[in-house]
Amino acid sequence: MCLLLYGLFIDVVGVEMKVSWQTRLHIWFRLLLLQASWNFETLQGLGFFYALLPGMRKLYSKEKLPEVSLKYTGYFNTHVYFAPLVAGAVLRLEEDRISGTAAEVEIDDFKQMVAAPYAAIGDAFFWGGLRPLAAGIALFLAVKGILWAPLVFVLLYNIVPIWFRTAFFSRGYRQGLKSVEFIQQHKLPDLAIHTKEAAVVVLGGLSAFMVFSQLTQHQVPSWLGMLTLIPMVMLGLVARKGFSTLLLVIITVSSIFLIGLFWADVVHLIAF
Amino acid sequence: MVLSLFLGSLVSLICGLDRVAILQIMISRPIVAAPLAALVLGEPLVGLQIGVMVELLWLARLPVGAAVPPDDTQVSIASSVLAITLGQTLNASGGELLLLCLFIAVPLGKFGQYFDRYARQYNVRLVQRVDSALKRESFLAAEGQHLRGLISFSLSSLASYAIIILGGLLIIPVLWPYVQQSLSYSSAWMQLAFPLVGIAVILGTINVSRAITLFCASFCMAFLLMWLV
Repeated sequence: MCLLLYGLFIDVVGVEMKVSWQTRLHIWFRLLLLQASWNFETLQGLGFFYALLPGMRKLYSKEKLPEVSLKYTGYFNTHVYFAPLVAGAVLRLEEDRISGTAAEVEIDDFKQMVAAPYAAIGDAFFWGGLRPLAAGIALFLAVKGILWAPLVFVLLYNIVPIWFRTAFFSRGYRQGLKSVEFIQQHKLPDLAIHTKEAAVVVLGGLSAFMVFSQLTQHQVPSWLGMLTLIPMVMLGLVARKGFSTLLLVIITVSSIFLIGLFWADVVHLIAF
Repeated sequence: MVLSLFLGSLVSLICGLDRVAILQIMISRPIVAAPLAALVLGEPLVGLQIGVMVELLWLARLPVGAAVPPDDTQVSIASSVLAITLGQTLNASGGELLLLCLFIAVPLGKFGQYFDRYARQYNVRLVQRVDSALKRESFLAAEGQHLRGLISFSLSSLASYAIIILGGLLIIPVLWPYVQQSLSYSSAWMQLAFPLVGIAVILGTINVSRAITLFCASFCMAFLLMWLV
């Protein structure tokens, strides 16, 4: 809650604002519904229009509003946690346009220009890095049977997205076009790579932990667990070739099932 | 049983919406959704076990652009509901039933992907409706059309849940007597295989140049530490 309040309010201190904080809060809440009408034609376009509408209502007259709104219902797609940054910046640019401060680029061009790079950064950082990292940490607890594991996952994962959604929205509103420089300064693509590397390390530790626990539980010599690396790396290489996860699961599980049956027969025969 | 299925459908609806349409606070991830469904039905540990098995399976399939990943949310919720309700009906407990529920739910989860795609396709109609509402200067109608998209996503989630539940209820009671014994020989190893396959797929698809080296080093280090301590 503190993060949310801080992100929403602190960045705009000292900045002249035409759109009140109540309206900005309204927009911010609407951005949580950005993808409610996600579709294959305009992707997040309708959601972006829906989110910005309270701001546009404050900035434009009733006569002008339909024309402006129609510009926002077209194609728009970025990462869902970066959308507040774009929305904040667009709101600022609309304000500037009304006050007569000429922007260096058209608002529509700016929107399309930043959406794709932000989407790429967000996908790599959040979906590709942070999510596996948080999942890996939470799974350590879940494997131990700790019921708080899901809560740990939700908390660990959501700290950064909440920050992005709040502080970046304010930053976008405060800086307008210059918010792009702010993203560049933070070197988020590098951070995405580091997060992914951290995720790989955590998943390596998690695999070792799960294998070791299983072997100990079944009183199988622990050193055999090191052999798990061979099929895992092989499966990883096969997955890289484009094989579906479902197929790999079916093959692996069926193999284990058949080996289990065979082993049960062997034990049965030895007992006789 | 009907009450359990209904409660499961509520969790399926809430978590299904988090997946794409609202919030994205990740309560739709199997590690959260499955224990949540199981908690509502009074057996959170069952959900936790299923969450562990499903969480990493499709984590590497990123929802990038117009790509629609398999619906692991409904797979995990429906598996948990099936495992708990059928556990009571068949008087069965343990990992074998969980595994059988997952074996049925995972392929049926493919339907979730189709329903999701259909919902997004259906939402294309909303674009024209919003445009015509704006031309009529009816902003309330335009906003309403955007929110109507939530209905498509809700129905998509519920349809995926219903298909998996229906399939499970029809197939599992028939198969259970035949496979119960056979599954017991290897169920623990199969439970381990699910997350490991998921990790292997992440390893293969994550865009990190030294992924395999880092993974092997981390695995060996952790394994040796646990072995020595």
